[in-house]
Amino acid sequence: MSRIWRSRELLVFLLLIALLLAVGLINPNFWRTRSLMHILNSSLILILVSIGEMFVILTRGIDVSVGAILGLSAVILGVALNAGVALPLAVLLALIVSVLAGMVNAVGVTFLRVPPIIMTLGTLGVYRGLMLIITGGSWIETIPTNIKFFANWHVLGVRFFIWVTLVIVILTTFLLRRFKKARYLYAVGDNEEGARLMDIPVKKTLFAAYTLAGLFAGIAAIIFVAQIGFVPMQAGNGQELRAIAADVLGGVNLAGGVGTPLSALVGAIFLTAVDSALVFLKVPGYWNNAVGGAILLAAVYLDYRVRMAVAAQQRQARAAVRKENNHLNPSTSEEQT
Amino acid sequence: MAKPVTQPPGRSSQSPNETPLVELKNIWKVFAGVPVLKGINLNLMPGEIHALLGGNGSGKSTTMKILSGLYVPERGEIFLGGEQKVFHSPNEAHKNGIYMVPQEPHIFPHLSVEENLLLGLDMDPRAARAQVKQLAKEIGFESSFSEEAGALSIANQQLLEIIRGLLRKAQILILDEPTSALTFREVENLFKRMRTLSQRGIGIFFISHRLNEVMTISHRISVLREGRIVLAEPTTEVNSEKLVRAMLPADAEMRDMKRKVRDPRDQITDEVVLAVKKLSSDAFQDVSFEVRAGEVVGLAGLVGAGRTEVAEAVVGLDPNARGDVIIKGKDTKKHDSRKSQSLGLVYVPEDRHAHGIFLELPSLYTMTATILDRLGRFLLSRKQEEAVGNDYRQQLSIKMSSLHQIAKTLSGGNQQKVVLAKALASKPDVIILDEPTRGVDASARQDVYHLIEQLAGQGVGILLISSELEEIVDLSDRILVMYQGRIIKETERAGASLQQVMAAAFGLQGEASL
Amino acid sequence: MKAQAIKWIKTWEFGLAVLLVLEILVLGAINPTFLNLENLLYSTSDFTHILLAALPLTLIIITAGIDISGVSIMGLASITLGLTWVAGVNIFIALFIALGVGILAGMFNGAFVASTDVNPLVITLGSLFMFAGIAMGLPGLLDALGFKAYGAAGFAAYMYEGISGLPHNFNQIAHGGIGWVPYPLLIVLIFAAFLGIILHKTRFGRYLYLIGVNADAARYSNVPVKSTLVTVYALSGLGAALAGVVLTSYFTSARSDLGKEALLTIITVVVLGGADIYGGKGTIVGTLLAGFFIGFLRQGLLAMGVTSDVVPVVVGGLLVVVVALKLFITTYNQRRLNQQALRISEERR
Repeated sequence: MSRIWRSRELLVFLLLIALLLAVGLINPNFWRTRSLMHILNSSLILILVSIGEMFVILTRGIDVSVGAILGLSAVILGVALNAGVALPLAVLLALIVSVLAGMVNAVGVTFLRVPPIIMTLGTLGVYRGLMLIITGGSWIETIPTNIKFFANWHVLGVRFFIWVTLVIVILTTFLLRRFKKARYLYAVGDNEEGARLMDIPVKKTLFAAYTLAGLFAGIAAIIFVAQIGFVPMQAGNGQELRAIAADVLGGVNLAGGVGTPLSALVGAIFLTAVDSALVFLKVPGYWNNAVGGAILLAAVYLDYRVRMAVAAQQRQARAAVRKENNHLNPSTSEEQT
Repeated sequence: MAKPVTQPPGRSSQSPNETPLVELKNIWKVFAGVPVLKGINLNLMPGEIHALLGGNGSGKSTTMKILSGLYVPERGEIFLGGEQKVFHSPNEAHKNGIYMVPQEPHIFPHLSVEENLLLGLDMDPRAARAQVKQLAKEIGFESSFSEEAGALSIANQQLLEIIRGLLRKAQILILDEPTSALTFREVENLFKRMRTLSQRGIGIFFISHRLNEVMTISHRISVLREGRIVLAEPTTEVNSEKLVRAMLPADAEMRDMKRKVRDPRDQITDEVVLAVKKLSSDAFQDVSFEVRAGEVVGLAGLVGAGRTEVAEAVVGLDPNARGDVIIKGKDTKKHDSRKSQSLGLVYVPEDRHAHGIFLELPSLYTMTATILDRLGRFLLSRKQEEAVGNDYRQQLSIKMSSLHQIAKTLSGGNQQKVVLAKALASKPDVIILDEPTRGVDASARQDVYHLIEQLAGQGVGILLISSELEEIVDLSDRILVMYQGRIIKETERAGASLQQVMAAAFGLQGEASL
Repeated sequence: MKAQAIKWIKTWEFGLAVLLVLEILVLGAINPTFLNLENLLYSTSDFTHILLAALPLTLIIITAGIDISGVSIMGLASITLGLTWVAGVNIFIALFIALGVGILAGMFNGAFVASTDVNPLVITLGSLFMFAGIAMGLPGLLDALGFKAYGAAGFAAYMYEGISGLPHNFNQIAHGGIGWVPYPLLIVLIFAAFLGIILHKTRFGRYLYLIGVNADAARYSNVPVKSTLVTVYALSGLGAALAGVVLTSYFTSARSDLGKEALLTIITVVVLGGADIYGGKGTIVGTLLAGFFIGFLRQGLLAMGVTSDVVPVVVGGLLVVVVALKLFITTYNQRRLNQQALRISEERR
């Protein structure tokens, strides 16, 4: 079964290549390294938020507040920098805020037992509101150049933040594969009852998932501020929805237990590439959402059909075994005598 | 009668003064006011394979669930190696060396085999992995450790569970119906491994309803009936006949005799209201039978024989079924349960919680769920609905404070009556009842039997599926017995004895009389 | 009679009604204009669109489903209305076409939900994007397809500015009324009455509860699950389209991005109204009361000088508190029942 899912990331990756090829045929400018790098660069924020969201979805939960957490962290960062706080400290502050925000969700879901969708919908409102309160409703127009520098810093020809994201993706993938406590995420999502029976600390695992989602939104916020250079009021708006879409596209199963950071990576890049592709196809930007939504729907529909086909296959295999069994020992009385 | 083919192996230690690994003394368990275990006394010796036998509802699973920490008994004690213990959770049982392999293994389908085994274990990973390899070899577990557990066959999933137990240093293993989904070869393999474990001094409780298997593998057999142990002897001193006898109710012979005196039902007509021809699907093959108006046809067999699957296919809930179903003379092609109802056939499901009743809603809602289109043209007529509800409340003697009492708060018996009311509301000509008295107390049971007789008297054809053989034999005009997906016996009520039906249900054929 | 009255008092809806009255009194104490009935009624026009979307959403949540695409359907309906009018169609016919579009969008959702096992959240997430995108791209699309519009610039001219200058009698929908009762409020009440009758008095409504409590049992009981689901999502689409139409009239401008911010508020209204996110519970009266409660709350906060930014904080916090409270109450009741049952079984022996 994992073969199918592992190849799901591969499948989306291939689709991505196909997309790039197809668009490039129509508009060869698409194939230039600059454009491709631009896609990668623009997708960093979504990649990080999607990985954070992935942790929650793995446990069969959902978090619709990650976009707001991103916005809130970005606002805190902007305000801190403008107030003259040193860059490292300001970054730390933003991360702390995002972690705390994630923890609030964690507490609600694990201890108060509020359904994840409701809890995170509530915090979505609260955090957005806090954002607006702190900024007084206006955009944070200027950000000190010290952070913006990092967005353009090229190391070995590749932007700094691309390296950072790459390292994060590799690290997360590695940890999720090897680190025992990380595997608990999969166990809880796959079979929460079974996990409880197997002495796996379910509550702690869930707590960690939502906290991590907050943390990654915070990291994304730092890159956001650095790349964009100012903090609009709607920072992070809709990012959670795009993150969920990216995850599902890349193979993270909403029912839990399936998915890797590579899923998030591939899904996020694909969605960003679609946006970019539309530009190069001279399709006006407002079609992005329509295409993104249609792709998501097509993906889950196909996924459904594949699952049904596989289940039918398994059922027939089991029936065949049963038939064979009956032939071997049609009635036990014959063995008895 | 048949004797076991292979003698069970001797146990590794035979000294008479051994302390049992575990002792259960005078265990009582009550569910919703109904005592399910009535003073169970049981023990397990080191290295012993102890089989628990009994019909559905006899209490064997419940007893083991208490031992493995899922339930707490109302009364009684558990002694582990001489010390009294109480288990409030499976974790506590694990810590004390008790591990249950459930009938449906708990696995994480998307995780690897290795992770399924090692997650949650409080052991140094390298040592654990080494032990796993060792155990796997001993147990004969042949899968690669990196494979996804969901892809494993059920047999291997069970072995996986056993290894889990051994990893947690279990001295007592409980195997709950381990062979129900295994092929013949896999069962042989399992038995080999069980013998290996037994030689290591590990005690095994083996719950099963397969007599031949029990005779082959166990050292001792305890038979449960209605919450009590009615027989506990070394395997060498019993045979199938004795076991079957033990599982029957005490007054079995009396009832057999009584029945021969009763009049045969005279309201059975020649009209065939349900005809099933060569029905086949995943769980059963070539099933054919007929039900006439006013006739009660009993379908007996053990859990897993395929009866519910047949019923669901007859009603139209199985899209993969092949064969013919003819309801009141009308051949149905690719029908669904709606069509069946419109033709006059209804089905009362086996699992009323999952498929039959709407627990969180007023009971009235369940009763009228299938006939809402008859209760008013555009708007639902409350008056009509309550009239229907009151009608069946009275007819079935349903004990509820009002029609709107939430179904969850009714007793099992009354819940079942509500589900029956739902089936009757559409005034069917054929009814399939699947385990209608499961979880139902004695007096409600009588009401249900009375209802069945009444319906038959009114000309309704009834297919009665039940694991309670007394029910089947008492109520049916004709009895079909299913075993492993096929109908292997068909008798008229007059010629059938409880013994015969029971034996057939266990797959034993050919005994004309005792 | 007395027992009936006591039962009614214990319901969630009664509690909401009490809360609502208290709220009005408190707000009125702070700002006496609140107690002026005419003002009060007039102010409802501010949030009727929330109710129009939340009322049918209640029905969906009762089936243990969800629909987050409503806010996009609002915009889609609005822009459809505007563009059809610009193409020369009578405004009221354009209105009905907009409603039709909403119904079709809802049916799309419903068909997807009914025929696959995909989580309705994901499905309506996808359609949220898709409908929003279609709404934005519609002007350009119509131009490309060769439809004619007033003005030389074609439909595309309206893309960013929206369509204004709508006929006066259309604008009256949001700004006129009968006596003291504004039309939007009237529309909400009629819609609520309609949905209330459907939910509580027809077999369709009964089917919704059955499906929400136990979809499998519903299937075994021959409930027409598929067609019921398609219909209920279509109703949600209709409600969202109605909301879009009312908003268009309110702002006297047809835009494709109307109502985007409303999702959180809509869901909070439904949950506060007593609907259980897991299905099987919910009433129209509850949602209606909750809608007014939150609507007036927003107004009150604004009147007190609280910025519109803080409002979502309060609403979000309210959502969490309400749900947590409900859960505490149910677990507490459960424990009490269990202990009762245990005592009874022990006594029996």
